[in-house]
Amino acid sequence: MNKRSCIRQRLSKIVIYIALISLAISILVPLFWVFTASIKENSEFYGNPWSLPKGFHWQNFVDAIQRAKMGEYFLNSVLVTFLALAILILVSVPAAYVLARHDFKGKKLFNILFMGGLFINVNYIVVPIFLMLLGWNRTAMGLIGRGIFLDNLFVLAVVYAATNLPFTIYLLSNFFRTLSKSFEEAASIDGAGYFRTMISVMVPMAKPSIITVILFNFLAFWNEYILALTLLPGTNKTLPVGLVNLNQAQRGAARYGQLYAGLVIVMLPTLFLYVLVQRKLTQGMTIGGVKE
Amino acid sequence: MKHKGLNLFIYTCLAPAVVLFSVFMIYPTLSVFRMSLYKWGGLSAKRTFVGFDNFKTLMGDRLFLKAFQNTILVITIVTIVTLTIAILFAYILVREKIKGQNFFRIIFYIPNILSIVVISAIFSAIYAPSEGLINGLFRMLIPNWENIQFLGNQNIVMYSVIGAMIWQAIGYYMVIYMASISSIPLHLYEAAEIEGANRIRQFFDITLPLVWDTVRTTLTFFIISSINISFLITTVLTGGGPNGASEVFLGYLYKQAYTNASYGYGMAIGVVVFLFSFLLAAIVNRITKREVLQY
Amino acid sequence: MRKGLTMLLLVLVIAFGSGFVANAKVLKIAGLEGGWGTAHWEELAERFEAAHPGVTVELTIERNIADVLRPQIIAGMYPDVIYLSVNAVGGLTDTLIKEEVILDITDFLDMEVPGEGVKVRDKIIPGFTDTLITNPYGDGKTYLAPLFYSPCGLFYNADLFGEGKYALPQTWEEFFALGETAKDDGIALFTYPTAGYFDAFFYALLNVVGGPELFNRAMNYDVEAWSSPEATRVFELVGDLAQYVHVDTVAQANAAGFTRNQQLILDNKALFIPNGTWLPNEMADAPRAPGFEWGFTALPKLTDDGDAYSYTFFEQMYIPEGAKEVELAKEFMAFMYSDEAAEIIYANCGAVQPIVGGSDLLPNDDANKLYYTIYDTGAKAAMGGFAAAPPVPGVVLAAGGEDILFGTVNSVVNGDTTVAQWQMDVIEAVGKIKAAMDAQ
Repeated sequence: MNKRSCIRQRLSKIVIYIALISLAISILVPLFWVFTASIKENSEFYGNPWSLPKGFHWQNFVDAIQRAKMGEYFLNSVLVTFLALAILILVSVPAAYVLARHDFKGKKLFNILFMGGLFINVNYIVVPIFLMLLGWNRTAMGLIGRGIFLDNLFVLAVVYAATNLPFTIYLLSNFFRTLSKSFEEAASIDGAGYFRTMISVMVPMAKPSIITVILFNFLAFWNEYILALTLLPGTNKTLPVGLVNLNQAQRGAARYGQLYAGLVIVMLPTLFLYVLVQRKLTQGMTIGGVKE
Repeated sequence: MKHKGLNLFIYTCLAPAVVLFSVFMIYPTLSVFRMSLYKWGGLSAKRTFVGFDNFKTLMGDRLFLKAFQNTILVITIVTIVTLTIAILFAYILVREKIKGQNFFRIIFYIPNILSIVVISAIFSAIYAPSEGLINGLFRMLIPNWENIQFLGNQNIVMYSVIGAMIWQAIGYYMVIYMASISSIPLHLYEAAEIEGANRIRQFFDITLPLVWDTVRTTLTFFIISSINISFLITTVLTGGGPNGASEVFLGYLYKQAYTNASYGYGMAIGVVVFLFSFLLAAIVNRITKREVLQY
Repeated sequence: MRKGLTMLLLVLVIAFGSGFVANAKVLKIAGLEGGWGTAHWEELAERFEAAHPGVTVELTIERNIADVLRPQIIAGMYPDVIYLSVNAVGGLTDTLIKEEVILDITDFLDMEVPGEGVKVRDKIIPGFTDTLITNPYGDGKTYLAPLFYSPCGLFYNADLFGEGKYALPQTWEEFFALGETAKDDGIALFTYPTAGYFDAFFYALLNVVGGPELFNRAMNYDVEAWSSPEATRVFELVGDLAQYVHVDTVAQANAAGFTRNQQLILDNKALFIPNGTWLPNEMADAPRAPGFEWGFTALPKLTDDGDAYSYTFFEQMYIPEGAKEVELAKEFMAFMYSDEAAEIIYANCGAVQPIVGGSDLLPNDDANKLYYTIYDTGAKAAMGGFAAAPPVPGVVLAAGGEDILFGTVNSVVNGDTTVAQWQMDVIEAVGKIKAAMDAQ
């Protein structure tokens, strides 16, 4: 009996390891493939896509940076992403906090409103947003002589922050709900006001969740295409919009190596950030479980 | 006095979020609702009010119904498969003594941080008929292997898209479930062990009921992200083809609004997508409601 | 270096806006950066500026030009000239046509080509400005100007044909017979990049079977034409052809995989592929079978004494309503048809302008020459496409691939749709569009 259960346990362990390792391989091999593709010569792409590169064709990276104007657009992307993250955190943390930890009139309405916002997809509200900003631009034209709402990185950052508010508030308020009431009570006894309680007691405790939210939104903002394209109609562009220059031109020869090099360059910051924050991720993604 | 201060605090905290949200999400969404009542090409100033005509046409539009069907298929299968695998792996990684536990956790999450363009490129190379990874593996094992047309066979293509989506999503949900499972007090498992419950029993009697609330929440995420990601992936991987076989909601919206110069019609599709996902989430939320278990 | 300096100057001028030169005119040209690249546009702009003191040409040539222009047009910021073809990704030009916001440029045809004393009308090869693409409303007025033409037909590996090898089929009967022979040799008769490439193929085939008369009626949404025995024959020919399509074709018939379908020709895995003259350039880097040499032929004839057809693909430019510098735009467009411009274009990117004597610019040893002489060697030219029609929600008849007329080819090849069903679907869609036209 004892021996049989021991064997069974061994067997189940083996099955578990096989499952885990296969999934890991299924992720690592394609990831490795993307990197190898970025150093292949163009002619290598027509044969077996899984063949190893014949050499290190670093020129792809140089060409990609030039053709996608990455030097020019990199700063824009960094600026928009960080601005949007800053605005988003500043706006969403207090909102999520009061929605999670305070009772007040209209709370239910606000909760439902933000919840409903989860179901709005940017892909179909992008034109209305553009038309609205265009209207503002015309008003601004009349008042100060120039339009300031389009081609403006700050406005783009605000729109990024706004369109990601529902999910961020949802995630953060879920986390705030899991914290014990006793902390606020203790702060109250110490004579701390509401603001101080939030800033110096609750927000530090929500750090893992805030870090998680930053990672999620960084990924979203860094790779965003349709809003950046529409709201920046001038020469100011972001990296994902610039990447279009690496796509195959209609009825033109494809330059696959450059395309993959470009994708790798844009991907690196996200991988770097992930490695940096991955430890906090498990704690930060606490949702749903309401426990006091 | 104190009460007044509290109200001020609450509304100050909420105001910026509510303003941004109203201006950049609610108002544009209302615009979408309004435009769905017009016949408009999308570029000129020529608009005609047509009432609910766009919605009536939609009900008889075979391609839209196909996209609807595909979207439901995606939501159902991606949810069931991803949820099952993610929760099992989460349980294993938290509860079992596994060597390289951290390594697996870190690796499994990576697909979620890749951009959709990269994921589509990867799967294009995996699914390719003669030179793809999967067909290549089978050809090594089985001589005379006939290529599976992952992206060519109209009965298979949707499942190929779903495969890519599951691959992309597992790590994300796994981490969510890990967070939830690891907060379950150990003594519950210890007590079960003394009573002689095996791992499987423990999973169904302790783990699942206690993470149920998290699972319910992720069901909403599944609905929302399935609609969005299926669009992004099919756009690059299949273009909705062959012959509309992998068309999904938002892909069809784009095609009608832009390629077919029927912007109002496209927005009507947007309205249906919004209402459908909202209602579906509400229904799922209702029927999965259980007594919240405390520990 | 000189080009770099001019570019720098250009950028500076744009950057500092028109405030510097008070009376300067700015001509805004927006267009697609396709396989031809952008070098020719830059040189053309330079020459035009040199000939027009005080005029600055502002170029916006982008891969995603439809996405870039859409918000600008909604905002009322129109370029003066748009170079973007009907059926291009994004459907921008098609939408502008449907919304009737493209300027009538019939009078531009009577302008003189700068420095040549010839009217534009007479410089353009006859026929190019009589098509439903250039005159989309069928009212005899021209709205879109043709440029960069290229014959379309079937490409193959010339090394496989000739004495002791396969014989190049002249009729459809021979074509399918070759299909059987090739099948025994393990080669598929046919493949296609994406279903969208069936436009040129299908239009040529309508001409092969029913002549220009059937083609014109079909393009004007004549339901009877689409249900005529000739049309049925066209559908059936494609249906027969579907039996000979390489098995991997449909899976690769999308934006991510179409070059793999083109590779099938280079690897001798399929014999024929419908395409245009840009194909050899598109696949220039690709590996190929030893001895490979591009061959190009028109579509086979119905019978020995029938007509062979090659569809002439050409791109378009036009002036949107709302353009500020209309006269200047027309002058620029007239300049595009000068010998000088044609030479610049050909030298920079190899595109050929549809002007009388345009293909004479090609040196005799140029591989391209073979393609452009296809009409001299017996093939008739087919041109144009569907007439403009109001949008019908839910009905996408022909839009570059994922549509009822061409997209269904994938289903026919897969065996998921019968030829009869396909034709019925097309007839139904044509009927709906016709009804919408009549209701207008």
